[in-house]
Amino acid sequence: MELKDEIRIPASKQVVYDALNDPEVLKACIPGCEELIQHSPTELEAKVVLKVGPVKARFTGVVTLDQAGAPDRFGLSGEGKGGAAGFAKGGAEVTLTEDGDGTILRYDARAEVGGKLAQLGSRLIQGTAQKLSAAFFEKFAATVTADAEA
Amino acid sequence: MNDQVMSPEQRAANLKGMGCARKRVEDVRFTQGKGRYVDDIKLDGMLFGDFVRSPYAHARVVSVDTSEAMKVPGVVAVLTAQDLAPLGLHWMPTLAGDRQMVLADGKVLFQGQEVAFVVASDRYAAADAVEKVVVEYEELPVVVDPFKALEPDAPVLREDLEGKMTGAHGPRRHHNHIFTWEQGDKDATEAVLAGADVVAEEMVYYHRTHPSPLETCGCVAAMDKVTGKLTLYGTFQAPHAIRTVVSLISGLAEHNIRVISPDIGGGFGNKVGAYSGYVCSVVASIVTGKPVKWVEDRMENLMSTAFARDYWMHGKIAATKEGKITGLWCHTTADHGGFDACADPTKFPAGFMNICTGSYDIPTAYLAVDGVYTNKAPGGVAYRCSFRVTEAAYFIERMIEVLAIKLGMDAAELRRINFIRKDQFPYQSALGWEYDSGDYHTAWEKALNAVGYDALRKEQAQRLEDFKAGKTRKLIGIGLTHFTEIVGAGPVKNCDILGLGMFDSCEIRIHPTGSAIARLGTISQGQGHATTFAQILASEIGIPADNITVEEGDTDTAPYGLGTYGSRSTPVAGAATAMAGRKIRAKAQMIAAWLLEVHDDDVEFDVDRFVVKGAPERFKTMKEIAFAAYNQAIPGLEPGLEAVSYYDPPNMTYPFGAYICVMEIDVDTGVHEVRQFYALDDCGTRINPMVIEGQIHGGATEGYAIAMGQEIAYDDMGNHKSATLMDFFIPTSWETPTYQTDFTVTPSPHHPIGAKGVGESPNVGSVPCFSNAVHDAFRPFGLTQSHMPHDQWRIWKIANDLGLHG
Repeated sequence: MELKDEIRIPASKQVVYDALNDPEVLKACIPGCEELIQHSPTELEAKVVLKVGPVKARFTGVVTLDQAGAPDRFGLSGEGKGGAAGFAKGGAEVTLTEDGDGTILRYDARAEVGGKLAQLGSRLIQGTAQKLSAAFFEKFAATVTADAEA
Repeated sequence: MNDQVMSPEQRAANLKGMGCARKRVEDVRFTQGKGRYVDDIKLDGMLFGDFVRSPYAHARVVSVDTSEAMKVPGVVAVLTAQDLAPLGLHWMPTLAGDRQMVLADGKVLFQGQEVAFVVASDRYAAADAVEKVVVEYEELPVVVDPFKALEPDAPVLREDLEGKMTGAHGPRRHHNHIFTWEQGDKDATEAVLAGADVVAEEMVYYHRTHPSPLETCGCVAAMDKVTGKLTLYGTFQAPHAIRTVVSLISGLAEHNIRVISPDIGGGFGNKVGAYSGYVCSVVASIVTGKPVKWVEDRMENLMSTAFARDYWMHGKIAATKEGKITGLWCHTTADHGGFDACADPTKFPAGFMNICTGSYDIPTAYLAVDGVYTNKAPGGVAYRCSFRVTEAAYFIERMIEVLAIKLGMDAAELRRINFIRKDQFPYQSALGWEYDSGDYHTAWEKALNAVGYDALRKEQAQRLEDFKAGKTRKLIGIGLTHFTEIVGAGPVKNCDILGLGMFDSCEIRIHPTGSAIARLGTISQGQGHATTFAQILASEIGIPADNITVEEGDTDTAPYGLGTYGSRSTPVAGAATAMAGRKIRAKAQMIAAWLLEVHDDDVEFDVDRFVVKGAPERFKTMKEIAFAAYNQAIPGLEPGLEAVSYYDPPNMTYPFGAYICVMEIDVDTGVHEVRQFYALDDCGTRINPMVIEGQIHGGATEGYAIAMGQEIAYDDMGNHKSATLMDFFIPTSWETPTYQTDFTVTPSPHHPIGAKGVGESPNVGSVPCFSNAVHDAFRPFGLTQSHMPHDQWRIWKIANDLGLHG
């Protein structure tokens, strides 16, 4: 499954980049995120409650950040396990481009899901993933904007 | 009107014997919701089991932590392979001579594989605890393609078989190879192909599907520690075989095991095998001393208990330029999943796939089948067909069509000139079978006339012209099939499962007042045995079918038999029933003669009585004879009137049929409409025409599902993509076509009543018929082969690939 989109955030590239690396911001923006612990500058552990169709489960996972090329790009890859509900793994490549006083955030994400999630949710998963990523970036944009204005 | 004045015809009608469209006696129960299925069984203190299943298709199981699950209120035990290992029960034998993990032992080989078994005081607690079992997996590379599985560097799936280069069916040539099975004459066939006028070659794939019975698999194991007796209720298509297998696996003495198959809500092959749920329930009951119930849900059923088909059949068919077939070559790659759990007779690892010469007189043939392990669920059962017969029928009926295209011939005519002629029976096929009887030409002509074949072809040609002229976007496809089944396994000399000979049995007791009970080694799953076996007996012993109880499925009371699958009930147990009935009649004759004070030879059977030859007014009815059997002291005869017969059939039976389907296909949307479906079946002697018609409707509907949409699909990661009825197609009344049934009668010469079996013919015959209709619609545009299922998208894609979307 692949997800691609772009969103304009009315904040400078550096502000956006920093926010992407801020566990508090991420925790607030990731839909269903209950816990986000930073183990090192590039390693995070997350607990996220996800619902896809009839499957609802708590996923625990490790996310690794790739900060090479900052602040123009940002990479992340991760793997989450939801017990009986299945598992998911994937990654995203994010690029940031200046656009006047704002920043264009482009993301190119791919994900693989397995287990019950894949079986039951196969028809729903693309839509759900799109909805979730849209929710994330909307909230992210709002948070960054609020922070920038504050 | 009393017995004295009724005509023999009236008396025969009163018996409701063979040939009578007697209403199904089971339906009184079923239509009122009074059936008793496994899940209806509730025993005191019963516990419930549920499985932790692998989300991965191939992974190492690093650890299983059950501690949190044990804390869930109501949880009694959580079994893992480690708990079963000391008992030697962490693996179990499969019906195909392989072995299968009961619970994951170090690794998992398919998504949905059983990893741990939670036992709790109710079903919900068990399900909650399943979520609390923490399993650590280490992913391994997944292989779902049987051809890739045989590549040299393919991942090793079965580490337990490492170094074992001989399996249950001979040499293995690769770590994911199970067996090679060869039939026929390879060299001669290749020589025929090399010298033939015409050779048509095609890869024919019969996709993976699933029997998916309405009721899923399940059991209740109840170990009575006081008596030492285990009672096992389950959805078993072969209760006696299950008893023997449970005894052999568990070490419990066979007399201490009672297996009961209650009402079964459809089997279709899915309920033949032995599953982890049975073993775990038995162990859990022995450990806890309480009854343990396990019933799989729909997802578990589609994901883990036996699938069907998944055969890649590479074929070559040779013919003269006039269309006379001279040779057939087939190499099949059989995807068996993680374990070889096919339910085939031992000597037939690819079932009766060697019936793939079909209805045709093909002098030279060769078949090879390679069984392969992949990261998919195990199984390979006969989904409403005799072992692999539907694969064979699909293969040959597609190859005939492909050859017709190559020759530029009409496919009906090509069939006609190649049929085995009536005078050739018993017919010895090139791949080793002796066909008992048939009259294919008569059936074929009747079918073609019934649908108005020539007119249909004219209409189709006109439609094609209109299509090309832009007047319509719908094409007509005419699907033809003439199939020959091989059912009624089978002769003990070459048919056994796990060493158990495939005879069957019937035991009859006549009660003093002239009614009776018959018990059989088979088990109805909806076929209506209680109705039809009583009819056989009614005709054989002259007691009305309504006065005969038929009982099956309790191993403590029924005689030993190998169960119901492969259309074997009528050919084998039905024969046993007739033979036991004849033993009853032989004794009744002696009793009648004594009562009538004549010699045994001076009385003869007359519908429901014995009459003195030449003096029909002097007779004793079976009712009178039954009473005398118990209450008269007859010199030289024991009291009572009972008989038992164990029938070892001398040969299989070979039902056949001619099916024709007319389909309208919308080129732009891929939507199809079955305009006509004509099914002529010849199942030999017909016991109950209404039951036969019901069987044909049911089997053709399953065939329709398989051909037009039903599949078990996996993605590259081994995710099961069709584990719910949202994705797995089961036709409702909305999709189901209307069927037109017809028949000819060519009795089996070796069967006591000439019956051949019919339950599976419609699945075997209808799948190629629907599929051929789709192919036929696109034949003018150059289509030779497009794999099933022909769902809307795939039909659209055929049209698109052929450039019909402009």
